[in-house]
Amino acid sequence: MSEVQTKVRIRLRVNGAEHEVDVEPRWLLSDVLRHQLGLTGTHVGCEQGVCGACTVLVDGRPERSCLMFAVQAEGHEVTTVEGLTPAEGLSPLQAAFQAHHALQCGFCTPGMLVTAEALLRENPNPTEEQVREALSGNVCRCTGYQFIVDAVLAAAREGRS
Amino acid sequence: MTAEMLKPKFTGARVSRLEDARLLRGQARYVDDIAVPGTLEVAFVRSNRAAARIVSIDPSAALRLPGVRAVWTFADCPITIKNRGFQVEQPVLAKDEVRFVGELVAAVFAEDRYTAEDAAELVQVKYEALPPVLDTRAALTDAPRRVHAERPNRFYHKVHETDGFQQAFANAPRKLSLTFRTNRQTGAALETRACLAMPDPASGRLTVYATHQSPHNLRAQLARLLDLPENQVRVVVPEVGGGFGIKAMFYPEYAILADAARKLGRPVKWVSDRTECLLADAHARDAVHELEVAFDETGRILALRDHVYGDAGAYPFLGYSGAVGEAGWATDMLTGPYKIPEVSIEIDCVFSNRAPTGPYRGVGGPIGAQVHEGAVDAVARALGMDPAEVRRVNFIGPQDFPYETPTGGVYDPGSYRESMERALALVDYERFRRQQAEWRKQGRYVGVGMCCFVEPSAFAESEAGSIPYEAASVRMEPNGTVTASFGLGPTGQGHETTMAQLIADQLGIDVRDVVVLHGDTDSAPFGGGTGGSRSGTIGGGAAIRAGQTLRAKLVKMAAHLLEASEEDIELVEGRAQVAGVPARGLTLRELARIAYTDIGRLPEGMTPGLEVLVRYQPPLAATYSNGIHLAVVEVDIRTGLVRVLDYIVVNDCGRLINPMIVEGQIHGGVAQGIGSALLEELRYDGDGQLVTTSLMDYLLPTSHDVPRIRVEHLETPSASEGGFKGMGEGSLIGAPGAIANAVSDALAPFGVFITELPIRPQDIVHWVQTGA
Amino acid sequence: MKPVAFSYHRPRTLDEALALLRSEPDCKVIAGGQSLIPLMNFRLSRPGALVDINEIEGLNRVEKTDGGLRIGALVRHQALAEHPLVREVCPVLAEAAGHVGHWAIRNRGSLGGSLAHADPAAELPAAMVALDARFEVASADGVRQVPARSFFLGYLMTDLAPDELLVAVHVPAQTGRAFGFHEFARRPGDFALAGAFAEVGPGGAGAVTWFGVSGGPERCELTFPEDAAAREAAFAALVEPFDPGQDAPYRRHLAVQAAERAYQQAVGGRG
Ligand SMILES: Cc1cc2nc3c(=O)[nH]c(=O)nc-3n(C[C@H](O)[C@H](O)[C@H](O)COP(=O)(O)OP(=O)(O)OC[C@H]3O[C@@H](n4cnc5c(N)ncnc54)[C@H](O)[C@@H]3O)c2cc1C
Ligand code: FES
Ligand code: FES
Repeated sequence: MSEVQTKVRIRLRVNGAEHEVDVEPRWLLSDVLRHQLGLTGTHVGCEQGVCGACTVLVDGRPERSCLMFAVQAEGHEVTTVEGLTPAEGLSPLQAAFQAHHALQCGFCTPGMLVTAEALLRENPNPTEEQVREALSGNVCRCTGYQFIVDAVLAAAREGRS
Repeated sequence: MTAEMLKPKFTGARVSRLEDARLLRGQARYVDDIAVPGTLEVAFVRSNRAAARIVSIDPSAALRLPGVRAVWTFADCPITIKNRGFQVEQPVLAKDEVRFVGELVAAVFAEDRYTAEDAAELVQVKYEALPPVLDTRAALTDAPRRVHAERPNRFYHKVHETDGFQQAFANAPRKLSLTFRTNRQTGAALETRACLAMPDPASGRLTVYATHQSPHNLRAQLARLLDLPENQVRVVVPEVGGGFGIKAMFYPEYAILADAARKLGRPVKWVSDRTECLLADAHARDAVHELEVAFDETGRILALRDHVYGDAGAYPFLGYSGAVGEAGWATDMLTGPYKIPEVSIEIDCVFSNRAPTGPYRGVGGPIGAQVHEGAVDAVARALGMDPAEVRRVNFIGPQDFPYETPTGGVYDPGSYRESMERALALVDYERFRRQQAEWRKQGRYVGVGMCCFVEPSAFAESEAGSIPYEAASVRMEPNGTVTASFGLGPTGQGHETTMAQLIADQLGIDVRDVVVLHGDTDSAPFGGGTGGSRSGTIGGGAAIRAGQTLRAKLVKMAAHLLEASEEDIELVEGRAQVAGVPARGLTLRELARIAYTDIGRLPEGMTPGLEVLVRYQPPLAATYSNGIHLAVVEVDIRTGLVRVLDYIVVNDCGRLINPMIVEGQIHGGVAQGIGSALLEELRYDGDGQLVTTSLMDYLLPTSHDVPRIRVEHLETPSASEGGFKGMGEGSLIGAPGAIANAVSDALAPFGVFITELPIRPQDIVHWVQTGA
Repeated sequence: MKPVAFSYHRPRTLDEALALLRSEPDCKVIAGGQSLIPLMNFRLSRPGALVDINEIEGLNRVEKTDGGLRIGALVRHQALAEHPLVREVCPVLAEAAGHVGHWAIRNRGSLGGSLAHADPAAELPAAMVALDARFEVASADGVRQVPARSFFLGYLMTDLAPDELLVAVHVPAQTGRAFGFHEFARRPGDFALAGAFAEVGPGGAGAVTWFGVSGGPERCELTFPEDAAAREAAFAALVEPFDPGQDAPYRRHLAVQAAERAYQQAVGGRG
C-alpha cells in the first residue's frame, strides 16, 4: 500500500462555494460531501448505485455521489439538497413535499428532491408517467411513492401558474 | 364539560407534519450525521461460512496497518447474550464456532472506515467446515446435526386444539389442503443500522446513539449486558430512516461498540453497509403452513387445521425469536374476520445455519392473512362460488362483537363485511367480472384479489417491549408554549405531529405551539417505544390524558382568577375564557406566567408550575383494526411478469388522528406488500451462502412497481381513549394476500393457485405451460 | 463497502492517457464508473491506479460520417438516448440506451464503458453487434479497428488489451433493414433477464441479436417465417444452445418472447 498515493488537495465547487479539501483518491464523493464538508443532507443507503439516496446534481444532472470519487468532481459544479434549500423556509418543491406528505422517515427525501428538481428544470410539465420514470432509480421504503409523485406534479402545476 | 363539546380542531384533520422542514432542508441528523471529534470507525469481520469451527484468528497483519487502533475478538470482548427462554447463548463475537454467514467474528477499530475495511481484510480466520443445517424438516430431527450442540434444533413446539375440532373436522362434507410458504424477506429500511458510542470522561457515563425503535429497551439491554446501572447509560435515538421492526431488536454490534467506547476511551462509530444489512439485520417470514380446510357446500368454513414450520435462523434475538413471533401471530389470527369455530394448530420452530429471524412489519400477520384468504378463495374455487360470496357467508357479523376467536383473542367491533362491500363498489365488481371474461377471450389475463384482514394492535406485548402502557410528559412553558416528551421511538410515522395534534386540542392551542420530544432516555419518560402498532393508540391515549390533566389545572386556575365556576371555563385559541363571554378571559400565556412566576395568585393549595406526567394503559389487551385490500393485476402469461393495474384499500382503524399520515402508512405498507408478493426474496444456496447480498439482487419496489392506491376510511371507534386503533402494520398484512389471490384469479383458467411468495415469473410461465 | 487505495491520474489528452496506460502497472481506465465503482466498493475490483478519461477533449462527440455515425466512447447513455443524430440515423440504438439503468446512471455511464465492461445482460454491446458497428481502439502504438462482432469474447471479456482504450464506435447507416428491440426485466431499469434486437430485411431475411442469455451478445441469422408459430419455433431452436446460467429454461423462453416482440416492432416500424 506504500507506493499508492496518499492524500491530494482538491478544490470542490459545491452549492456555489469553493472548498479546498485533502482527500484520498479513493474517497467517494458521498463521503467527502458528508464527512469532510459536513453536508449531511446527502444520504447513503447502499453504495451500490441502486437506492438513489446519495443522488446529487453534477453540472445540473442527477448522478450518484456513491459512484464517483471526490477527485473526479474537481472542475465540476456539485449541488446537494442544501444547495436547493432557501436560506429561510422551503423551496416550492420542498413545500409541495410537505403539503402532500411525500416523506415519512425522510431518508430518501434529499435524493428525491434533487432528482425531481432536475426533472422539473428539464421538463416543467411532466406527466405522471414521466415523473415515475425519472424517480424510478430512487428507492423509498416508506411512502409507496404516490404522495411523492403527487408532490412533484403539484410543484409543476405551481411553477406554471 | 363545555370544552369537550367543542369539535376538535386538529384531531382528525390533515395537518401537515411538523417534522418535515428539517428533513426537507437536509438538516435532519441521523446517527451517521453526528460527528464527534476523535471518533474511531469500526468495520467487522463476518463469517463467510454457514457453519464452521474457528481454528484460529490472527489479527497481527491488521494491527500493523497504520491507523488501526485495535482488533477485537471474543477474548477482548467476552460478552455473551444469554437467552434463557431459548436455552441458547450468543457470544457477541463468535467464540469457537460460527453459525451463519454474516456472524460477527472480529471488530476492527481504526481512524477511518476505509482503513478499518483495509484491516478487516487482513484479519486471518481459519475455519474447519461443519455440515450446515439448512433444511427445516431435517432440522426437526437434528439432522444433519445440532446448530447448538447443547440443545435440540427444535426449540419451540406448541399445540392448540379447540374441543370440538376433531368432530367438526371428521364430519365436514368437504375438505381441501394447501401448503403456504413465504420465503425470507427483510424490512430493508433505507437508513442502514448504525451506532455511535462514547464515554463521557467527566461523569463516567456512557452515551450511545443508535438507530432504534425503543430507546429505553436498548438502554436496559445494554446496561444489563455491560453490567452498568441504568442511570449510567444514556441512549439517544436521533432521526431514524425507517425501522419496520428490524430496528426494534438488540444486536451484538451495540454491545461491542458500547464496550469498546469504555475500554478504548474514545467515541466509536459503526455504520452498517447494505451488504451487512442483508446478511445480518433481522430476516423475516420464512414459514410454511400446511393447512387443511373443512367446509360445507354453502361455503361455510367449519374448521381449520394448520401445522406451521418456522425457521429461527442461528439464534433468537434477545427475548424474541422471529420464527415464534411469525407463527404465533399467524395462527392467533388464523380465522381472520371469519366465524370459523374450530381450529387445530401445531407449531414447530427450529434453529438453522441461516441469519436470525426477527420482526418485520406485520410479523406473522401477512402470512396469516394470506393463509385465511387463500383458504377462502380455495373454497370458492372448489365450490364454483364467487370469492366475495364465500366471504359473506363466513364474516363475523356486527351482532357478534365482542367476538372471541377460537385462538383466544377478543375482537372489539369492526366493519368486516361493510369494508368489503365498499371495496367491491369502488372497483365496480360486477362490471369487472364481465370485463374480465371479455379480456380472457382476447388472451389478457386480469384478476382481482381480495384480502380481508384483522390487525391486532396496541398489545400488552409487542416486539418493541412488553409494557402495556405509554407515558406522556407535558409541560406548558412560562410563555404558554408546550413541550411534550414521550418514550416512543418513531421511525417516520410522524409522532411529533400526531401527538401535538392531540395535545393542542386538549389545551385549545395551535398545533405549532407544541414541541414533541422523544428518543433521549435522559429526558424521555420510560416507555415501550414504537412497534406493534402501539404508538397511536397507547401513546395517543397518554397524550390525551396528559393534556386533560394539564387542562384541568389551567381551568381551575382560570376559574379562580376570573371568579367563575370551572364548568364555565373553556380553552380556545390560546385563551381561557368564560363560555359565552369571551371578553372575560385570560391568555394561556398569562396563566402560564402566573403558574411559574406569580404564584401568589394561584388558588389556595395549588402547586406551582404546569407540568404533568401521565401513563396510560388501554382497557383492552388489544384493539383490532380491520380492512380489505383489493388488487387488480394483469399477468403476462408469456413472461410471467405481473403488473398491478388498480389497488383499493378500505381501512378501519377507529378514529383517525391524521388521515394524511394514515394514508401514507397504508401506501407504504402496500408497496412493501407488492415487494413481498412479487419481488423480495433473501435466497441462500446449498452451502448456506446468502446470494442476495445487494439491492441488485434483493429487489425493492420502485415507483414503477407501485400503482396508484385508492384509500377509503371507515371509523369504528375502539374503547381506548380517543377511539383509536393501531394501523401501522395492516397495510403490509393485507397486501401480499391480495396480490396472491389476484394472480390466482387471473390464472384461474390454467388452474393455477398461488400459495408461495414471492411469486416468481419463471414459475408462472412453467405453470401456464404445464397446466400445473 | 469502500474501495482499496489506488493512485489517480487525470490526463487531458488521449496521448497522455495512452502513455499512462502503458506505463502504470495494474491500472484501469475509469469512464462513468457506473460498473467499475460498484465493483471497487465491493472490493471485487482492486486496481492499483485509475486513468480517468472524463476530461479528455473530444471523446464525447457524435458525428455524422459518410457511412453512418461516429460516436465517442464517452458519450453518456442519456445523451445517446436523446441525441438528434442518433435518433435520426439509428433510432433503435437511442431506444436501447434509454433502457440502461436509471436516469442518474445514464447521466454518467458511458457507451465505451458499457462496451469495455461487456456485461452479458447489457443492451449496448448487443446493439453494436446487431448494428455491425466497428470499434476504434487506440494504444500507444496506434489505432486499430475491431468489428463489434469479434470484440466480445465471453463473460466480461473483450478483445481490449489492458493498455488499450476504446475511443469511438462507427455505426453504419442501416439501409433496407428495419430494426426492433425488446427486453424483459423484473423491474424497469434492471439489467435484462433477456433481450433481443431484430433486424428484418427484404424477403424476411435478417437476424436476431440476443443479450442476457449467454456470455455475451449472440447474433443469429435467419429468414423470419411469416407464421407466428413457425417463427417462435425458429427462435426457440436458435436459443436452445445458449447457457444463461440461473433459470436457464425460463430465460431462453423469455429470449424467444423478446425476439418476437422485437420482430413485431421491426416489421411494424417498416410498414
Ligand atoms: C444501479 C445500476 C443499474 C444499471 N443498469 C444497467 C442496465 O440495465 N444495463 C446496462 O447495460 N448497464 C447497466 N448498468 C451499468 C452502466 O450501464 C454502466 O454505465 C456501464 O456498464 C459502464 O459504463 P461506465 O462508463 O460507467 O464504465 P466504467 O464503470 O467506468 O468502466 C467499466 C469498465 O470498462 C473499462 N472502460 C471504461 N471505458 C473504457 C474505454 N473507453 N476504453 C477501455 N476500457 C474502458 C473500465 O476500465 C472498466 O473495466 C447499471 C449500473 C448501475 C449502478
Ligand atoms: S448510496 Fe448511492 S445509490 Fe445508494
Ligand atoms: S421516506 Fe423513508 S425511505 Fe422514503
